[in-house]
Amino acid sequence: MSRRLLRLTVNGRPYELVAEPRRTLCDVLRDDLSLTGTHVGCEHGVCGACTVIVDGAAVRSCLMLGVQADGSQVTTIEGLERDGELHPLQTAMRECHSFQCGFCTPGFVMTAYALLQERTEFTDTELREELSGNVCRCTGYQTIVDGVALAARRLSGTQDPTS
Amino acid sequence: MRYTGEKVQRVEDRRILTGRGRYVDDLQLPHTVHAAFLRSPIAHATITSIDVTAAWSAPGVVAVYTAADLAPHATAITSFAAVGAWPEFHPLVTDRVRFVGDVIAMVVAESRYLAEDAVDLIEVDYEPLPPVTDFASAVAEGAPRLFDDLDSNVLSTTSTELGDVDAVFAEADRVISAELVQHRIMNSPIETRGLVADFDPASGELTVHAATQSPQGMRHQLATTLRMPMDKLRVLTQDVGGSFGLKGAVWREDFCVAIASRLLARPVKWIEDRNEHLLASGHAREETIRAEVAVNLDGEILGLRAELEMDAGSYPCVPFAASAITAFIGLLMPGPYRWQAYSYRATVAATNKCVYVAYRGPWAVETWARERMLDIVARELDLDPAAVRRRNMSHGEPGDRLITGPSLAGVSSLESLDRALELIGIDEFRAEQAAARSEGRYLGIGFATFIEAAPGPIEMRAQGGHFAGDEAHVHLEPDGTLVVTTSQSPHGQGHETTLAQVAADEMGVALDRVKVVHGDTRQTPFSLIGTGGSRAATWASGAVIITTRAVKEKVLRIAAAMLEIAPGDLEIVDGMISPRGTPARAIPLAAIAAQAALAPTSVPPGTDARLEARERFLGEGITGSGWSGGTHACTVEVDLGTGEVKILRYVVVEDCGRVINPAIVDGQVRGGVAQGIGQVLYEHAAYDRDGNFLAGTFLDYLLPTAAEIPEIEIVHLESPADGEFDIRGVGEAGAIVAPPTLNNAVEDALSPFGARVLAQHLPPSTVLGLAGLLTGS
Repeated sequence: MSRRLLRLTVNGRPYELVAEPRRTLCDVLRDDLSLTGTHVGCEHGVCGACTVIVDGAAVRSCLMLGVQADGSQVTTIEGLERDGELHPLQTAMRECHSFQCGFCTPGFVMTAYALLQERTEFTDTELREELSGNVCRCTGYQTIVDGVALAARRLSGTQDPTS
Repeated sequence: MRYTGEKVQRVEDRRILTGRGRYVDDLQLPHTVHAAFLRSPIAHATITSIDVTAAWSAPGVVAVYTAADLAPHATAITSFAAVGAWPEFHPLVTDRVRFVGDVIAMVVAESRYLAEDAVDLIEVDYEPLPPVTDFASAVAEGAPRLFDDLDSNVLSTTSTELGDVDAVFAEADRVISAELVQHRIMNSPIETRGLVADFDPASGELTVHAATQSPQGMRHQLATTLRMPMDKLRVLTQDVGGSFGLKGAVWREDFCVAIASRLLARPVKWIEDRNEHLLASGHAREETIRAEVAVNLDGEILGLRAELEMDAGSYPCVPFAASAITAFIGLLMPGPYRWQAYSYRATVAATNKCVYVAYRGPWAVETWARERMLDIVARELDLDPAAVRRRNMSHGEPGDRLITGPSLAGVSSLESLDRALELIGIDEFRAEQAAARSEGRYLGIGFATFIEAAPGPIEMRAQGGHFAGDEAHVHLEPDGTLVVTTSQSPHGQGHETTLAQVAADEMGVALDRVKVVHGDTRQTPFSLIGTGGSRAATWASGAVIITTRAVKEKVLRIAAAMLEIAPGDLEIVDGMISPRGTPARAIPLAAIAAQAALAPTSVPPGTDARLEARERFLGEGITGSGWSGGTHACTVEVDLGTGEVKILRYVVVEDCGRVINPAIVDGQVRGGVAQGIGQVLYEHAAYDRDGNFLAGTFLDYLLPTAAEIPEIEIVHLESPADGEFDIRGVGEAGAIVAPPTLNNAVEDALSPFGARVLAQHLPPSTVLGLAGLLTGS
């Protein structure tokens, strides 16, 4: 099996490794770089659990080959904390009891993170549409929607971060 | 402060929100090899030959196993809870495949990629056998048998008859009957099945890291089937990515992986992919009920006859097979209503489909069929479905009983019904519905009531077997940390938080001074069930409370001797022990813990320096009805252009006794409702007539998303707390009662067309068919 040199930056840290071209980006992240926060739920691009940010866009790392991320900047769930402090999105989701088993969590958090980079104002229906590419089997989604909405209000300054 | 009753933030959330959870696939042990299985592409066939030569020589392959290779290392698979006919079957098939996805061979290789490559090189010749793909053909005269060692495909029958059924039916004004079909669905946790087996040849010990609801149950099953002494087995479970009943099972693949690790003396990892999971993990709920209700024209319900047919798929699930569920279905089917006579008959049959597994409220067909029938009765008699329920529902009087025996004393069904209808505003909705119909829009309202034995009234608790009781170990570390070790194995329920809440309150310490330990069979109390059956709220909390209390008593005896005061006059508040109302004379709990651990001979005479206890909670002090339950109500609009059902409002009135953490309880309820909605509108684990599986991807097996699930409004009825153990289970509630609630609403919406919802699954084509707009659906 041929192997290719792969250079990418994950969560601000540069990596260089040799990988088979057929390895998916999620397998490269999880198995080769030991960044197991990104989860694999369906391996066919439906459940969204493996969502990561590649060069600013939310992508399904199960549908992308590792070698396609050569030269890219990748952000995973492990990259959101700053100096041990949760990202405001993580804080809001914790306060809202957004998740239960936690397996879909990295995908939802990264999808919502990408959304909040883009905009912080949306209706409940718009937000639900934005999150409808990710599947959670535990919660019934309401607390996830609440968590993202709370983070959006805080980030846009319409709600005090402490309330 | 008291933590019980508060929306305390979850202990689990920091790690899961930062990607630092530890799920089984996150484990990367050195020298791990990876397993992949060859699965049957046909439903029923004899295997005439298997050629693994090419697979053995494929790159990275470490081993290829067929049944003959594993046979010396395992017995036929049995269960401590076997009910009904139990065929002989093994980890891998010996000479015959019995469903699409059946396990034929296992490849172990240096990576999952290489293992899958090699699986494709195994050559198998099949001699097809006629497939048996539904209940009727399984029980038909001369049907092909799945198992040669069984007389037929019928695995079990159950029946009961109470009251003078024939007389009641003969005297009734009318008998209303229907055949109700609940389709095959799946648990579908987002984390698939998986384990890592790690055999240490030096000690002969096998450590299994598994995504399971019951580490001790798994250890027990592995020891039995692999003929290993239990002390040589250890099962470890950390975070588990959902289960809903599925991961209470021990799988044929689990035995294969464990044996491979023993043979190879290397860690072997198997993480199934989604297609395998959909095809070959477990399916649930495929049941048909023929029900007859004897009624008087004024809406008095008199008698119920119910005949259940359950399609159990191929192999029995271990430990709890389909046949283990039917008696419970029969026990609960009459529900909180007054019947004079009842008969129930259940038959379970094997078919060439995936294994039947427990799914969130495995007995839920009883609620669905009953609450569906009550609406059908009301419609046939031109009565209000709420009036029919109210007329026949138990008021929870002390002498009230299900006709099958258990007490209904204190049950709050009627109160929940009234409250739910008030919250959804049924009178205003009826006016709105009438106005909408005049504009050609079809709105409907549905509601349904359920009771769940979590923990059940006292006579059910006494017969609860493996499901009643729970044990905890509690000890104080020398620094005063309170360590609670539970037999629960949470997979989303937040027990690290809720059990810490009750322990912190009982001991009188801050929540962050409590550590909940689970998921290590070397440490946790033995339990065959682990987490399941909505047990934790009552049984695990009770166990933690009484065990913490026993430790607290030891602490107080030491402090009392030191302070020369009676132990009963002391209290512990925020980790400080002091005479009641005299906080100035306080001794830190941590100081007592340190003294007892570091200088055990220095504690006062007559006191016990071992600040630990293990207790089993068997239900003493449980108050209240024992019934979790409530009523759900929803309103819908049916779009006759597309067949889409839009849920306008969904209201839950739930009575689960005292609530430990409202955010966690509401999360359980909403999650269950979402699954019930998915079950009715989207999900179907469908097969064709030849037994080919038609839902092998998430594009075929449709799970609801945030765009489909509405906001779910929840109100709790908390019966007066007249004793301390009135904490009831709530895990299965939503999934049990959402399907009839939604079905009833759709039937109501389509009542102008005379629609009868007899099949639970309502995809758009079926909805349009019910409205007479599509034929042949």
